[in-house]
Amino acid sequence: MSQPALVNPTLPWGAGPYSIKRHGTTLATCDSEPVQTPGCIQAHGALLVLRLADLHILQASENTLLHLGEDPTALLGQPVVRVVGAAREVRLREMLARDALDRGAAYAFTLPPRAGRAALDVCLHTSGGVAVLEFEGTGRAEYRADDDFFMLVKAAVGRLQAPVSVRAFCQQVTQEVRAITGLDRVMAYRFHADHHGEVIAESKRDTLDPWLGLHYPAADIPQPAREIFKRIWIRPLPDAAGPLMELVPLANPDSGLALDMTHCALRGASVMYSEYLANMGVAASLTMPIMRDGELWGLIACHHYTTTHFAYEVRAACELLSQMASLKLKSAEQAEQLAYRLKMEDVHQQLVVRSAREGDLLALTAYEPSLLDAIDAGGAGLYHLNRWWCVGNVPDLAQLDQLAAWLYERPEFQSATRPVFITDALAGMCPAAVGLEDVASGLLATVFSRQRRGLLVWFRPQTMRTVKWAGNPDDKPRVPGPQGMRLTPRLSFETFIESVRGRSLPWSDIEVDAALRLRLLVLELVITRNERLADLNADLTRSNEELDAFAYVASHDLKEPLRGIHRYAHQLFESAQARIDEQKGDDDGEGLQRVESLMRLTLRMDSLLDSLLHFSRVGRMELEFEATDLNAVVADAIEMTGALRTISGSDSDSSIDIPRAMPVVQCDSVRVCEIYSNLLANALKYKRQAEAHIEIGYIRADEATERPNAPAASAGQDIFYVRDQGIGIDRRHYEQVFRLFKRMHGRDEYGGGVGAGLTIVQKLVQRHGGRVWIDSALGVGTTVYFTLPGAPSGARVEPG
Amino acid sequence: MRLQNIMVVEDSDEDFDTVCDAARRGGILHPIVRARSGAECLRLLRGSAGNHDALTLLVLLDLNTPGDDGRDVLREVRSDDALGTVPVVVLSASANARDVQFCYANGANAYHVKPVDHGLHLKVLQDIFAYWLSSAVLPA
Repeated sequence: MSQPALVNPTLPWGAGPYSIKRHGTTLATCDSEPVQTPGCIQAHGALLVLRLADLHILQASENTLLHLGEDPTALLGQPVVRVVGAAREVRLREMLARDALDRGAAYAFTLPPRAGRAALDVCLHTSGGVAVLEFEGTGRAEYRADDDFFMLVKAAVGRLQAPVSVRAFCQQVTQEVRAITGLDRVMAYRFHADHHGEVIAESKRDTLDPWLGLHYPAADIPQPAREIFKRIWIRPLPDAAGPLMELVPLANPDSGLALDMTHCALRGASVMYSEYLANMGVAASLTMPIMRDGELWGLIACHHYTTTHFAYEVRAACELLSQMASLKLKSAEQAEQLAYRLKMEDVHQQLVVRSAREGDLLALTAYEPSLLDAIDAGGAGLYHLNRWWCVGNVPDLAQLDQLAAWLYERPEFQSATRPVFITDALAGMCPAAVGLEDVASGLLATVFSRQRRGLLVWFRPQTMRTVKWAGNPDDKPRVPGPQGMRLTPRLSFETFIESVRGRSLPWSDIEVDAALRLRLLVLELVITRNERLADLNADLTRSNEELDAFAYVASHDLKEPLRGIHRYAHQLFESAQARIDEQKGDDDGEGLQRVESLMRLTLRMDSLLDSLLHFSRVGRMELEFEATDLNAVVADAIEMTGALRTISGSDSDSSIDIPRAMPVVQCDSVRVCEIYSNLLANALKYKRQAEAHIEIGYIRADEATERPNAPAASAGQDIFYVRDQGIGIDRRHYEQVFRLFKRMHGRDEYGGGVGAGLTIVQKLVQRHGGRVWIDSALGVGTTVYFTLPGAPSGARVEPG
Repeated sequence: MRLQNIMVVEDSDEDFDTVCDAARRGGILHPIVRARSGAECLRLLRGSAGNHDALTLLVLLDLNTPGDDGRDVLREVRSDDALGTVPVVVLSASANARDVQFCYANGANAYHVKPVDHGLHLKVLQDIFAYWLSSAVLPA
């Protein structure tokens, strides 16, 4: 795979090939660095570029004198035989002829030690039409049999057999890598969906601070570096701060291209990376990718605090381990998902059992485990019929309602099988969520009622809040790099914070599946709950009927003894009167008065019983709905109450005003007449002055006028009213006036009465499916409003 | 010749006394026979059937009597050919529309509510006697 030289004239190195040594410090950002064509190698080895056709030397690293005994100038244009000898040149030709070497370097042979120079391991690969030979010191005094490492790797791989979770698996991998390499710190570093990384496993020298659990900004491993790790299995950097050796010449004289060093073990490290390591005090690093389905899933990152040497065998063993880790990662993930799924299933089961026992939605949020344990989140909420049940960290009720309104507009909820909406950046989509990032950056929502009545939601806070960030400038002092503060990767932290602001950890597929299963559970619960409510309603209706029957029987049977009492009182009265008439009694009239009171009380009790009887009848009787002209009904009511007689009989300016013709409505005319006559009777009774001014009218549902104090349930309904200018009712008593036998005034004030009128009005209005309410002010007057929805809407006819 | 009797089906002593009081005040000479229950009423009516002198001229029926209540008595009387024509005047504590409807549908000749007010009660009873014993012509 060849990589053409970057010839973008806007770059600091202009049209020519790049060299870290010459241009590295001119870079502004990591993402623009040509890491594949650094033009330089690490100083601990040497590199030769050979023409494939004749194996003549095209380019050589500037340090060949040290490692190979001759200056580059002496080597350029010479056949490779001059360096490796005839037998080894044959070996190279055999390898080139036999193997595809463009996907990674292969060990070719070891050059024995020569005068003053160490033995060198030689690796070969091809890149962009050239052969690349890399020479590195073996790092050992004696030759070590390959099978020692084979045994080591075999044992390590054997121990990776039964992963139970990704973390446990990665922990095992870091331990094996550290056992093989003997490095100070070995970490498994996992990339999240937003590319930021987390140390999920670590094996280290005891004296070092743990980095386990730290999160790193995405910029710490820049995009070009991540791309390279998709193509190589190991990246050694034995002396991070070591010098760099340029290729001579920098460009291939045949093609004019820079050498693509992707597969070079000696590839010179980016200035940024070496400074990054230096800032952390790291002297050497070894990095291996963990791949999953062709994507870079994570890294095995090894740090050493002194410069070291990575022998070829050690690297080969690590390569093998990282390949094994990549292969086994999936089964570890599956094991982990299975465990998560099992945990969710367990919570699910417990929720099912408890909710079946309690039959209430509260079962899902009020106890442990709750909805929140079912799915890993910061808070969870359940919405059903205008009510929220919440657990954990959730927005307040008004905010929840706004979110719900927004959610119901989501097209995702139209799906019949998977009505799920997920996001890990809610505030970016939903204006109602702006400001809620700390609670609701992530949202997983599902509906169980499409009529805007049922929602199940889980919230996640923004990641910024949930994790521990490595290199947070607030936590640690910044360490200036060799180039000053300019290039230190920690400068990227601020940018990074911006990139994760308002973002939560993403939702996984198994979490979505779990939400959908819980949705079914909640659906079942809601149905059970509705059945229970229906049962309760039936019970309530039954006991209401029984109460009515009781009131009827009780008042009926109470009348008989009452009649007896009145009779005896009457007889007492008659005989007392007779005695007085005969003037032979010693009665001074006081006894007579008492008997009179007794008689009056029995009659009062009689009228109370009559009201009770009537009230119970109002509850029991069948209503007959028909299109009724309210004008006729009101006229009847006025006639019944004798209102006109009262008015015309007084020499005042009393009036009953009907400002406009009443409509025709669907109702029981007899009962509505009773409503009006009761209200009229009250209006006539509770006068302030000698004259009464009464207004009977209505507010049409479609009129834009004020609907004073109208309850929400009356929306879309006509409102009828009877208004007087009487004594008024104190706001404190608005509720009480509707209570049976509740009187606001003395027994004989305002013409007396038993206090059943408004109670009966309320009952009659309720029987019509309507509401009744009061608007009143003491000394100003009272308006009683009521609605008569009764029959289905649309039944209303305009008066002819 | 003995006068035919008036049968009062009434379990309340006070209400029965009031009936007697009203009869006395109205100068009614017909003997008043009391039945305390619906069953007793039917037994007395059937026992005197065929005995002209013991025949009942008028039944004042309280609707809420123990055991078989006034409704049962009304149905029985109207379904018995031997008793079928005797006028039955119902007296009840309430003016329940269902009761009123039932009684007329089952052959009651009149329906009256017993007022709690003793004076009114006496007047209702005196009106009944005046109407049925003076104005109306009854089957012989």
